[in-house]
Amino acid sequence: MSDFQPVLSARLGKKNSCALATYVADGGYASWKKVLAGSKTGEWTPAKVTDVVKASGLRGRGGAGFPTGMKWTFVPPKEKRGAKPVYLLCNADESEPGTFKDRILIEKDPHQILEGMMLASFALDVKHAYIYIRGEMVHGAEILNAAIDEAYAAGLLGKNVLGSGMDLDLTVHRGAGAYICGEETALIESLEGKRGHPRIKPPFPAVSGVWNAPTVVNNVETLCCVKHILDRGADWFKGIGRNERNTGPKLYCVSGHVEKPGVYEAPMGIPFKDLLAMCGGMKGGRKLKAVIPGGSSAPMLTAAEIIDVPLDFDGVAAAKSMLGSAAIIVMDETTDMPKAVTNIAKFYAHESCGQCTPCREGTPWLHKMLKRIVAGQGKKADVEMLLQVAGQMGNGMTICVFADAAIAPVLSAIPKFREEFEAYVTKSASPGFDQPAAAGITSKVAERTAEGMHS
Amino acid sequence: MAKVTVDGRTVEVPDTTNVLEACRAAGVDVPHFCYHPRLSIVGQCRMCMVEIEGVPKIQASCTVPVRDGMVVLASSEKALAARNATMEFLLINHPLDCPICDQAGECKLQDNAVAAGLPVSRTVEPRRQFPGYDRTSIGPHVIADMTRCIQCTRCIRFCSEISGTGELSLIERGGHAFVWTHEGKELDNAWSACAADVCPVGALTTKEFRFRKRVWWLDKARSVCDGCEIGCNVSIEHRDRVVYRFLPRVNLAVNDFWMCDYGRFRAEELNGNDFTRPVLRKAGTTRETHWGEALDAVKAAVDAAVSKDPASVLVLGSARLSTEESWLLAQLFKGTVGVPHVEFHADLGPERRIKNPAVPGGWLVGREAAPNSRGAEAAGVARAGKGSALARLLDGSYTPDVLYVADAEFTSRVSDPEFILALCRAKTLVVHGRRTNLLTDAADILLPVASLAGKEGTFVNVLGLVQRFQLAIVPPPIVRTDLEVLLHLGKRWNAFDPQWTAKAVFERMKGTVPGYAGLEWDSAGLVGNDASASPTSAYDVLLERRLANPAEILAAVAEAAGTAGGEK
Repeated sequence: MSDFQPVLSARLGKKNSCALATYVADGGYASWKKVLAGSKTGEWTPAKVTDVVKASGLRGRGGAGFPTGMKWTFVPPKEKRGAKPVYLLCNADESEPGTFKDRILIEKDPHQILEGMMLASFALDVKHAYIYIRGEMVHGAEILNAAIDEAYAAGLLGKNVLGSGMDLDLTVHRGAGAYICGEETALIESLEGKRGHPRIKPPFPAVSGVWNAPTVVNNVETLCCVKHILDRGADWFKGIGRNERNTGPKLYCVSGHVEKPGVYEAPMGIPFKDLLAMCGGMKGGRKLKAVIPGGSSAPMLTAAEIIDVPLDFDGVAAAKSMLGSAAIIVMDETTDMPKAVTNIAKFYAHESCGQCTPCREGTPWLHKMLKRIVAGQGKKADVEMLLQVAGQMGNGMTICVFADAAIAPVLSAIPKFREEFEAYVTKSASPGFDQPAAAGITSKVAERTAEGMHS
Repeated sequence: MAKVTVDGRTVEVPDTTNVLEACRAAGVDVPHFCYHPRLSIVGQCRMCMVEIEGVPKIQASCTVPVRDGMVVLASSEKALAARNATMEFLLINHPLDCPICDQAGECKLQDNAVAAGLPVSRTVEPRRQFPGYDRTSIGPHVIADMTRCIQCTRCIRFCSEISGTGELSLIERGGHAFVWTHEGKELDNAWSACAADVCPVGALTTKEFRFRKRVWWLDKARSVCDGCEIGCNVSIEHRDRVVYRFLPRVNLAVNDFWMCDYGRFRAEELNGNDFTRPVLRKAGTTRETHWGEALDAVKAAVDAAVSKDPASVLVLGSARLSTEESWLLAQLFKGTVGVPHVEFHADLGPERRIKNPAVPGGWLVGREAAPNSRGAEAAGVARAGKGSALARLLDGSYTPDVLYVADAEFTSRVSDPEFILALCRAKTLVVHGRRTNLLTDAADILLPVASLAGKEGTFVNVLGLVQRFQLAIVPPPIVRTDLEVLLHLGKRWNAFDPQWTAKAVFERMKGTVPGYAGLEWDSAGLVGNDASASPTSAYDVLLERRLANPAEILAAVAEAAGTAGGEK
């Protein structure tokens, strides 16, 4: 492991890393040129690029960990899709709390992303690809646009790229700052100029996505991996990582109570304790309490549960959480769990798109209850009710998985740190009495509510 | 066709059916809010949750197409738990102000809460409010109250997909989202009140009906709008001899689920009766009289004129009379009395349109401002065109001794003094009247008649479909329907029996009137559906009829459209 050399982040510290010249000097666009040249001789075909990506075992870095090559094969073949174009969307709407890996790639090495997109476009017969970038990342959008301009000027994009006969356009589209637009179908709606509401699936985007055309949505880091796979081959990529199903280099976003928070690149499946060591250990040498291993939508794991877990898709799933976007949020013993969960609940109440009833109504309800509990106005039954309300929001109750994400912190933190929630309730102003002052309802109603709850 | 088993009952439904409709076909009621058969499926209320065998997660039944051999558990514990959960979520922020909400009694949220909701609320959190967006007018007919909204977006989809005007949108996001008009716009289109119809709760209500009557007090009569030649099926909703509103009734061949605001808000106009007794005017004196004297006077005037010259009598029917009434008019004057001039005039009005996917072109268009010109023609009343007696009366080349106007509002020109002056050249002017206008003011013999709500009969609409309208309210004492007036008048020539009902007239005429052969007075084809197109019952009808015989409706429409096209 010690001989691992950074791949995705290799150029991040370099001077002028965003410039085309330095990128090319570092061997950039070699794969793009190679594939385009090979396409004339028949050495490289779209199917071959897809096969290489498939063979690499690359799984989507956006959160779900779906095999990228397989996702590409879901696009209907030309004879089936008729005149409809295929679109490639790069999901740069990085908005999962705790995640900041794509941003650094965008801001420090944009050509890496562009080359990944070009190669994916070749594999998918895409003529126009889009980068949907989070609205807040203005700086990143400017850098991407500058990089795209450079690429056009160098003939790497546009009509008849490098004389290969292939046309490819690339457009940056800025979102308007909604978390849900990172969900691929909401992203598609937003790109079409509509409200960012996730779509009912099926049909999946590969069949009917943006403007009802076959669409592939890939994460920034995933597309960067594609570039490196084409540079160095599937076997090299497969050689990195814990096992056949969890391959390649991975960017981990470590935040919270560690000495040196930041983005760390490591082979897929690095054990948590090794990653923690890379980050200089726990801040102030304090004790580890809990970790959210994959962004705020991933279930929380206690110190004992996480410490030996290999941080890859299957490893974290085996610990009953998920790697997600690999946003490792580390919490030490000083963390007040109810407050942490309240903070996360606030985020989800704010970001629910409002389409589905359980999510639209449930996320603010959870937040209101949690807020009341940490304000010292909780009642005994509230803790159980949090679990019940969260329990009736997810698992198919909504169109997308936002609700499942929103309830994960509640459903994982309460059983694991129940005594902390109960402590708030017992020291509350009116423990066991169902009359929160904030609600301002009469005691009669409160009594009836209490009866109803206990019956 | 696909065989689907719902809670143990197997039904066969078309492949394009969704699971929600398949459940209904199997007799299993799956409650829902956002689904509407004519609007795009969004699957966002999450009320219609069912279990489907082989599918791990619970599914919104409106979003899932049926598959042959599918087994649906619509009433399983898991499905009911999911629906209860959705109901709880919907109610935690709903104001629960049913006692002061106009939708109470026809509210889907209320229905489902009563049917399946929890007996008590578990929430103690403050409820969401929308200050500034409650009880606020958003258009000429609609008032919005966003505290009651359940964000089903039916109204938004109505405005973008049916009216095509797109005034409404969701503003804000998540729990703060609310429906409103775009900045500076009003919900002002020809069908705006349908947005309130499709609203399952009291978030959108119409100004005209708001707080006028509790809906459970309303009696309903199946009628047909007389605002134009489309003949939208309506439910006349009334109580204690007062008409309160029209609601569209579903008729897939005609108005589908909709009706226009112009027709809908004619409802209350039906309540007016300016005359309670027949009126005789002679040499500047006006006196009220009884029917016997009035009708005798009509007969005397007609007889006197006919004995001189039958052509000196002009009988003007109306495209607003029922076919039965037109037939009596033609039978009496053309047949028995022998008057050659029995005519009607049909105004072209503003074009009215109703979106209906069953109609070629997708829109049913009404150009004539009256409901029954086709029925009048079929019954033997001639359309007044060039060279007609009416035209000659208007250009001054013909002066009748007796002018019998069977409908004081037969044209919009009755408010034109010059037009009335031309009509007044007749020595004796007999008028059936309900509301005061220039023509009733000029009448020598005024016969008070009932409104559409007070009579029954049939109209023939723009597609050539015969549609029956039922009696809603009994007219005031002494006021008679046009049909009764004609029967009693005909009795004076021994032509008719005053005991005849509209049905009896229908039976007598149907053998001879084109388009009426073989029709049955009480058949579903004539009276249409009972259900109003309100959100609660709208799609039941659609489903029942579609499943009973999917081809029937389309065939009928195609045939009718073919005939109508041939005439033009």
